[in-house]
Amino acid sequence: MSKAARQRSARDRLAEERRRQAQAAARKRALLVTLSGLAVLALVVGITVFVTTREEARTQQATAYTGPLAPMSRNADGSITMAKSGVNAPVLEIFEDFQCPICKEVEEASGSTIKRLAAEGKVKVVYRPFQLFQAEPLSSNSRRAANAALCTPADKWVSYHDTLFEFQPPEGKEGFSDKDLVAWGRDLGITGAAFTSCVNDAQKGGQVDQMTRYATGTRKVTGTPTVFLDGRQLDLQGQLLNPTALAQAITAAGDPTPSSSGSPDTTR
Amino acid sequence: MADHLAPAKGRAAARPAAARGRWPVIQPWLTTAARAGLAIVLGLAGWAKVTEPPSLQKLAVRSYQILPEGMVGVVGVGLPVLELALAGLLVLGFATRLAAAASALLLVVFIAGIISVWARGLSIDCGCFGGGGAAPRSGMGARYLREILRDLGFLVIAGWILVLPKSRLALDRLFGLHNN
Repeated sequence: MSKAARQRSARDRLAEERRRQAQAAARKRALLVTLSGLAVLALVVGITVFVTTREEARTQQATAYTGPLAPMSRNADGSITMAKSGVNAPVLEIFEDFQCPICKEVEEASGSTIKRLAAEGKVKVVYRPFQLFQAEPLSSNSRRAANAALCTPADKWVSYHDTLFEFQPPEGKEGFSDKDLVAWGRDLGITGAAFTSCVNDAQKGGQVDQMTRYATGTRKVTGTPTVFLDGRQLDLQGQLLNPTALAQAITAAGDPTPSSSGSPDTTR
Repeated sequence: MADHLAPAKGRAAARPAAARGRWPVIQPWLTTAARAGLAIVLGLAGWAKVTEPPSLQKLAVRSYQILPEGMVGVVGVGLPVLELALAGLLVLGFATRLAAAASALLLVVFIAGIISVWARGLSIDCGCFGGGGAAPRSGMGARYLREILRDLGFLVIAGWILVLPKSRLALDRLFGLHNN
């Protein structure tokens, strides 16, 4: 090999080596950037999920109401009133269907706040369950649940109502079987044969229809949950799913007469 | 060093001179546009969900009836944030290839989710850009088809970025990636 050829091949080897090194460095950089990207994604998502979940658990715990409930009574139209005696305003009317998933979410988010405010005499709550869903299999689930809820003694109503939402069947699945509905009642201490036959024979079916007509006809309720505070419809995202805002709205509605415990002429 | 790279460009050399001249200039800008487009889509989708109450986010996830209840909360909260984070990476052009691959994977999961829901005859709002839950049965098939086609379109954009990650206005270039 000539001297020139030897020199060229040495130069080539050197260049080849440099190229390999450059490639290795580029691979390392790509790997580093990709790993950093992965770390950013994992950290951002992980931290947010952690913080949000903890916050949610904390607010749920902070707002969970386990104290005594305000007295409950049944009205002639089938609706149930939960209020301290003498408290007539403000009125919170809750139109709900036990099969409605957003009603369940509202119950989870704000149920405790509503119970607490009622127990403190700050609001008169009127539950107006009805059968929103008119297509199978949701409709018969709705209907059985509404019927069973109307079969319960008034003082057990809210507890039974909470149980129904807790065991709400997934959408599109048959659920709320008579057998379960009776068993859940028994768990709450509703043991009489009257309750069992009321559930099994759908004895409150007529009342469910009547309440449905009232909701969709008289009150023009087209979806659930629909909640009125002194006749004004509350906002789902801003108030019903936000217990702090809901409590504020209720307190504000009762504010003009904060000291007069339940003066009957209060309308706002 | 340049002369060593020359043989690798043999294929490009077979193209008309004009196209060969323009493509290396156009392609990075096209990928930049793709990055921006995909980032806007992911950003809007993530933002719409993240600003909803957590209960609605969970409802949207639950309505697919795929995940066990324990996972619903994590996905409900985490998915929108992941979408926003991916949008952020794409805007910055940092770890572009990873962001494109992750976005593509996410889109494949979304498409699979919609197909699964459709196949089971459930009628839901996909909750893709917020909302979610039950939806009217009328026009269900057309709605799902539209959503799948839309996501396939986004998937093509993600695929483009994945295959051609070299782009302009990208942080990756500062770190010596896709800048030759």
